Amino acid sequence: MSAIIVKDLVKRYGRFTAVQDVSFEVASGQVTALLGPNGAGKTTTIEILEGFLAPSAGTVEVLGANPRTGGRAWRARIGLVLQTTSLDAQLTVSEALMMFGALYPKPCRIAEVLDLIELASDARTRIGALSGGQRRRVDLGLAIIGQPEMLFLDEPTTGLDPEARRRLWSVIENLTAAGTTVLLTTHYLDEAQYLAQRVIVLANGRVAADATPDELRAMGGVPTIRYRVPSEAAALPPALSMHVGGNVLQMPSADVTADLAMLVGWARENDVDLTGLEVGPPSLEDAYLALTREGELSHV
Amino acid sequence: MSEMALRVPKLPGPGSILASQLRYQLTLLARNPRAIAAGLILPAALLALERGSAQHITMAQAAPKIAGLVALSAVAIAFFTHANGLVVAREEGVLRRWHASPLPSWAYFAGRMLATMAVTAAAGLILVLVAVAMTGVHLTAHAVVGLLVVDMLAALALAAAGTAITTIIPSAQSAQPVLMLTYIPLIVLGGAFGAITSLPHWVNTAMTYLPAQPAIDAASRALQHGTIMSGHDLAVLAGWVVGGLLVSFRFFAWDPHRPGHARPAGASTTLRSAK
Repeated sequence: MSAIIVKDLVKRYGRFTAVQDVSFEVASGQVTALLGPNGAGKTTTIEILEGFLAPSAGTVEVLGANPRTGGRAWRARIGLVLQTTSLDAQLTVSEALMMFGALYPKPCRIAEVLDLIELASDARTRIGALSGGQRRRVDLGLAIIGQPEMLFLDEPTTGLDPEARRRLWSVIENLTAAGTTVLLTTHYLDEAQYLAQRVIVLANGRVAADATPDELRAMGGVPTIRYRVPSEAAALPPALSMHVGGNVLQMPSADVTADLAMLVGWARENDVDLTGLEVGPPSLEDAYLALTREGELSHV
Repeated sequence: MSEMALRVPKLPGPGSILASQLRYQLTLLARNPRAIAAGLILPAALLALERGSAQHITMAQAAPKIAGLVALSAVAIAFFTHANGLVVAREEGVLRRWHASPLPSWAYFAGRMLATMAVTAAAGLILVLVAVAMTGVHLTAHAVVGLLVVDMLAALALAAAGTAITTIIPSAQSAQPVLMLTYIPLIVLGGAFGAITSLPHWVNTAMTYLPAQPAIDAASRALQHGTIMSGHDLAVLAGWVVGGLLVSFRFFAWDPHRPGHARPAGASTTLRSAK
């Protein structure tokens, strides 16, 4: 069953077209990442799905309803983390959760949400006194207080340090394990790879790819051989050394068997340990860059 | 409609939502006392300045001055602070978050306006008690009740007007200049500091249709006679309540003001590298 159905979506602002003929579906219980560079149309798309914006053309359905006319009952079934933190700095964390919880038919227990967002010890701290990462977790707490079936996360970790990002990921993981459908927009490929079962890449307002992270990586071209070369090792053959940067061999390989044979031969000859050698599909970043570059070129 | 859309949960009733919103707004006001103090300190200071010439006077003499200062307090809290707070909440995205929740729009406005009315009435009462202490005028229970009724109705009219005016304020930076432009004439020409006799007739007439002067007249009458306001004053204040709410429900913006998308397609499509 589809939690989201988007058909031929178009959004124009005057003469500027932000989203052009976008169509996709999101299955219930799935985590889908909407990926793309700035200005690709991610936030416009998600704001249409959240009911903040009306489409210029096309149709959208979220949990079986038009977001513009879904009303309170529909809003009670979705949760949102907006692109920017938007909280009353004067309220304490538990007060904010309580105020929002009062709007839902079956809100989570405050203590449960505090545990989930790892802010139990700051329950009585005013939001204005929290760090950026903690505020983002309060945002997430407000989004899930109503036990939503559908969660929209608009760049939830933008501006956070790596540790805060990891903590937020673990919270999102816990939620998705409980079966919540999630649509996530992000700039971060590692985030999409870690959290999402499916990635939709937008470039210039159009869908450039719609695939699993593994399939997306495969779209990036040939497999890659990766190996950290020990600093004391003998020089690699020229065909291999041309792909070394910062002691790391990262070599796109059209003939993996032949290239590996060359590397293994060099290792045997020079008694070098090949522990750590990896052969895999191209990175998600390679695939993403290729796709978004294609999107931009096709637009020109 | 699909099977998904048919699952309609039973939402909390209006009473509990309104109570929660009222508690929320009162908490915010209590945690930001400086905004409220401005509406209390200035009128109290003006009362203190008047003290030397106002000792041993009758209520008939004191009432217009006290009523003017109560109205000054009401305009500061229910118009200026209320409208400014709304614009700031909107620009900070707080209103968008509420709007994205199952909170009915009416409940947000009602909670905010009820909290504003309560605080305005409390400030008005404090001012009257200070005035009584300073001047020694006799105050009846009827006068206090009458004044509270007038003060709360005036607060509602001013809050409705303040909510409506936020629709023409594009940013938090422009809120103070726009509000000052309306607040100062409303107070001064309305007679909060005493009637200005040299004004053109049409200005005096116009002032009787703005909320400050009817509030002052009604408060003065309540203090002297303990009676409720005249039909004209009631009609003007009620008119501002209805007009302000109609404009607000039609034009009120929940989202922060954003510049238009006046850019060519494909502009600013930069990639942010993963951390």
